[in-house]
Amino acid sequence: MQTRPLGDTGHDSSVMTFGAIALNWLEQEGANQLVEHVLDYGVNHFDVAPEYGDAELKLGPKLRQHREDIFLGCKTQERTYEGAWRKLDRSLNRLGVDSIDLYQVHGLEYDEELDAITGDDGALAAFREAKEQGLIDHIGLTSHGDPDLILDALDRIDDLETVMFPLNPVVAGKDDDEYDYEAVLARADAKNIGTLGIKAFAAGSWPPTDELPEADRPFSNWYRPVTAPDEIRERFDFAAARGLTSVISAGDPKLVTMILEAAADYDGMDEAAQRSLIERVRHDDSPVPEQLHH
Amino acid sequence: MDVPRTATTALGDRSVAGKRCLEAGAGVGNATAGLLANGAERVYAVTNDRDHARTTRRRVADAGSGGNDGDDDHTGDRLAVLEADLRAIPLPDGAVDVITAHGLCNVLDPAALSAVAEEFSRVAAPDAQLVVDDYDPPPDDAAISELFAVENAASELARGRPALTFYPAAFLRRFFAGHGWEFQRERTLLEPVPWTESHVSAHAERAASMAAACSGEPGDALATTARRLKSEIGSASAGRMYGLAFRLPA
Repeated sequence: MQTRPLGDTGHDSSVMTFGAIALNWLEQEGANQLVEHVLDYGVNHFDVAPEYGDAELKLGPKLRQHREDIFLGCKTQERTYEGAWRKLDRSLNRLGVDSIDLYQVHGLEYDEELDAITGDDGALAAFREAKEQGLIDHIGLTSHGDPDLILDALDRIDDLETVMFPLNPVVAGKDDDEYDYEAVLARADAKNIGTLGIKAFAAGSWPPTDELPEADRPFSNWYRPVTAPDEIRERFDFAAARGLTSVISAGDPKLVTMILEAAADYDGMDEAAQRSLIERVRHDDSPVPEQLHH
Repeated sequence: MDVPRTATTALGDRSVAGKRCLEAGAGVGNATAGLLANGAERVYAVTNDRDHARTTRRRVADAGSGGNDGDDDHTGDRLAVLEADLRAIPLPDGAVDVITAHGLCNVLDPAALSAVAEEFSRVAAPDAQLVVDDYDPPPDDAAISELFAVENAASELARGRPALTFYPAAFLRRFFAGHGWEFQRERTLLEPVPWTESHVSAHAERAASMAAACSGEPGDALATTARRLKSEIGSASAGRMYGLAFRLPA
């Protein structure tokens, strides 16, 4: 599988990152098998979080067995110094490892949170101490919030080495600033910060729960995913061709093999084909009446 | 207002800011949106279709009131939607600096295309730019080609002319050169062209309604075929949409 330099970290990440939340939906034996399966394809970057049910615990055994082959990303939603230290200790315990390669501020959403994490008593102070102690190697940030907020974070956090954000043809086709994650990609590239893409496989929201109760959803993703092999492939190609360092696999284990296949076969997507995909999904969700042309 | 990437790509290397522009065949205002977003001083969106005129006005008005970044202020003042025949454009000689024909030529048969090109030459100011975006003929074996054939047959029966004529890029390049336009560049806007369910449905319904206007068996058969193809095709990706750019020597 193709690898790309993850910003200035010195690590070359596989063009697909394994979203280890998928392990949460499997029994331990199945989780072990899925990790072996993902490694067989050449994936070397994993991403997990304490919020993903039992994913940290289920990743643990195979992570420890293959520790040298896996660049491990983890994250915390804590915004304070104390909270971040507590969650980092907990993740290290649950994963059963001595260190985490990339520790990320998880799900930044509000300006106040950015103030909090960068303050003297903020989470980043804990991250930096942990880095000095060798418990983490690199600092990152994840957000599916306002691109302007992420841009602010890129400017304000000097030691940020990776950023994770949504990128797919649905958001790429929208012009409003609230969807301008391409600006985040450009700024991160300019600063040589590694870029990790989420929601590459999102087709849209789930129907309201009175139409489709959560228990009746056929996939465990936060969003309604594309599920056909061809669609998975073009979504992967699109995200990888936009220039992300690595594209994170969807959270449902049923989709992982299709994404691995797409990632293994990835050999670029030209701009006309990228526009073709943007145009197609734009029409799927267009407020403009039926059209004869593009 | 979201500007389709076809329009942003077609206009990306064009100098539009502060220019007087003509969107020839406004459609739903895609190129109009792109011209306004790129700072056009004024856009004349000309269409002979009342629904298209209304849609273009509404989209631009909605965007103006939405005001997502403050740059859209007064877009309404910069747009004039004119309901008129492009073979007789209601503008004086030399009135525009930029002309866009975004997905226009395929709805013009050769006679109409010739007449419209004459008008472009008339309303263009010296050093004007011309942007022509259209589709290469779709591959013969593409399912969508069968639908277009039915649409054309229905149109010939109902109106005595085709609904769609797909001119190859090389054809329009030489055609406009023959009208004095200096060729500048060609881009591929879409490849493959995504004919979505909404496009397929719109073409099938147009074919069926033209067929229904013809009396007798051929009309009925074409209407039935159009509706059958709509459900059989669903959506299809085939062919290429290209973008040509020209300028008029000063």
